[in-house]
Amino acid sequence: MTSFFQLLLGGIGMGCIYCLVAIEYTLIWNASGLVNFAHDKFIMLGAYIFAGTLVLKLNLPIILAVPIALFLMAIFGSVAAMGIFNPLSRLNSNIYAVMGTIMLAKILGEATRLIWGPAPFNLPSFVKGAYKLGEVSVSKVYLLIMIATIAILLIIEFMFKKTKVGIAMRCVAEDKTAASLMGVNVNKNITFTVALSGMICCVVGILIIPVFNVSLGMSTMIGLKGFAAGIVGGFGSIPGAIVGGLLIGIVESLYSGVGPTVYRDVVAFVLLIGFLLVKPKGILNSKASK
Amino acid sequence: MKKRTKVLLLTGLGLLLAALPVFITNAYAIIVINQTLISIIVLMGLNFITGLMGQMNLGTAGIMAMGAYTSALLTTKLSMSPWVALISAVLMGCILGIGLGYPSLRIKGIYLALTTLGFSEIIRLVINNLVDITGGPTGVRNIPCFKLFSYEIKGAVPYYYLLLIFVVVMIVIALRIIHSKWGRAIKAIKDNEVAVEACGIKLSTIKIFAFTLCCVYGCIGGALYGHLIGYISPTDFSVDTTIRYLMMLMIGGIGSIPGNVIGAVVVNVLPEALRFLGNYYWLIFSILILVSSVLLPNGLVSVIKMIYSKVSRFAVKGEK
Repeated sequence: MTSFFQLLLGGIGMGCIYCLVAIEYTLIWNASGLVNFAHDKFIMLGAYIFAGTLVLKLNLPIILAVPIALFLMAIFGSVAAMGIFNPLSRLNSNIYAVMGTIMLAKILGEATRLIWGPAPFNLPSFVKGAYKLGEVSVSKVYLLIMIATIAILLIIEFMFKKTKVGIAMRCVAEDKTAASLMGVNVNKNITFTVALSGMICCVVGILIIPVFNVSLGMSTMIGLKGFAAGIVGGFGSIPGAIVGGLLIGIVESLYSGVGPTVYRDVVAFVLLIGFLLVKPKGILNSKASK
Repeated sequence: MKKRTKVLLLTGLGLLLAALPVFITNAYAIIVINQTLISIIVLMGLNFITGLMGQMNLGTAGIMAMGAYTSALLTTKLSMSPWVALISAVLMGCILGIGLGYPSLRIKGIYLALTTLGFSEIIRLVINNLVDITGGPTGVRNIPCFKLFSYEIKGAVPYYYLLLIFVVVMIVIALRIIHSKWGRAIKAIKDNEVAVEACGIKLSTIKIFAFTLCCVYGCIGGALYGHLIGYISPTDFSVDTTIRYLMMLMIGGIGSIPGNVIGAVVVNVLPEALRFLGNYYWLIFSILILVSSVLLPNGLVSVIKMIYSKVSRFAVKGEK
């Protein structure tokens, strides 16, 4: 029973990460109709900016480094939106859009390798250790991940319900033409959304540093599983992303208690294909378009 | 174009390709050319689905991996002839095509892209972990080369000629299919699925047919790749491989066979030509591709077509 709770907690921790990844690209999908295939590189870039430059090179305290990293990623996101996402969302075939973001991912990966070097590194004293809760030990990272996820969800919820920008984002997600007729600037909306998504990516990047180290491939698997989470929950819906992410995290973690660990990464993709075949609209029947 | 000029041009091109190893003596260059030829085969397969039918397929690497491992394992573990193994790879392609084509009946667009991506990752992870059969991360070594009667097609140059024959045959088959009623149906699906069904064409058959073609081409390419290098490992078939093929498709021009050939040549040869940039060559190459995909959405083949139409208009003016 103890090991069950242990696995469950680990699963919820990883599930929260998948949630955030799914939310981050769902936001862009809702705003522009593009799937950001570069999102894992956004995550990686966030981690590198935070760990490589701000903490290790400039020796900033972590409290100060986090907001600066978030700010830099927001600027990066808006530049990427203006240069790449806006032009691509106007092209009529989605193949070009997919290619554009994939090439952006390549460029980011190469640039990161050239700037920070190919060797992986770690932040030695960044959220280490665990709390004991009876028999079950909760590692501090997973606790931090859960708290950060809940905080981000609350912020997003507040933004969507109360602020003008958030309401405009919901309008654009519903119907782009109608939104632009109502005076919503769709292009500005895309820019803002990509910037927001970049900030969430940065948070994910910072949170997974203690789990995966800082390396060029640190976020590839998370990125792919985030896609799976979105589909399982229901593509294009934020609640779906939360449910899907948690489901994949928990199933994957519980599986490693029963099956061979080497196939742990396969679980998410099997769930993905299974759901697409049986229930393509996801658990929470979303209204996602084609 | 007049038929005679066309025939002359093609003969010239054929002679040039046949004489290529005489001019290029660098062994590495020949291997790059061989890889280009294999890329052309795989790319033509991808072209059926992504180019002509307009469905995103991000599973190229998985398809190639299945072809390569089928052929490599049959030749090394069961010491079959590579020719028999190649036929088994084709059969594997048929099975894969039906398996991948079935989900495409229900889902499309970005869903299909993610399904095929998931498929590709599952294949890679399974190969990586089935150490007893596939050798796991260490891969399969000493894959034998093709034999023609008693002559062993060994080394880069003889293999170049073998691949050249394969490519020409595959191009002819692809062209014949595209200009048949099957090809027209595939192209029509891209424009309007409902209209295709209303014309009395069975959508599911055509879709599965297109996927099977894609997988057969991909598996043949994968099998030939294994025999070219003599060694395969799961890292050869990661998501990066898929992305490379999508790049080729974009650069050359989506949906056209000459475009595929141009794309494969550019993506395989241009990075080698950019080697003088040292550490930065892959970055510069990626930027070039991104810029060209935003500025030239119809690929290099559209530039060639434009130049050709200008030249022919000029020629007509001169005759007058």
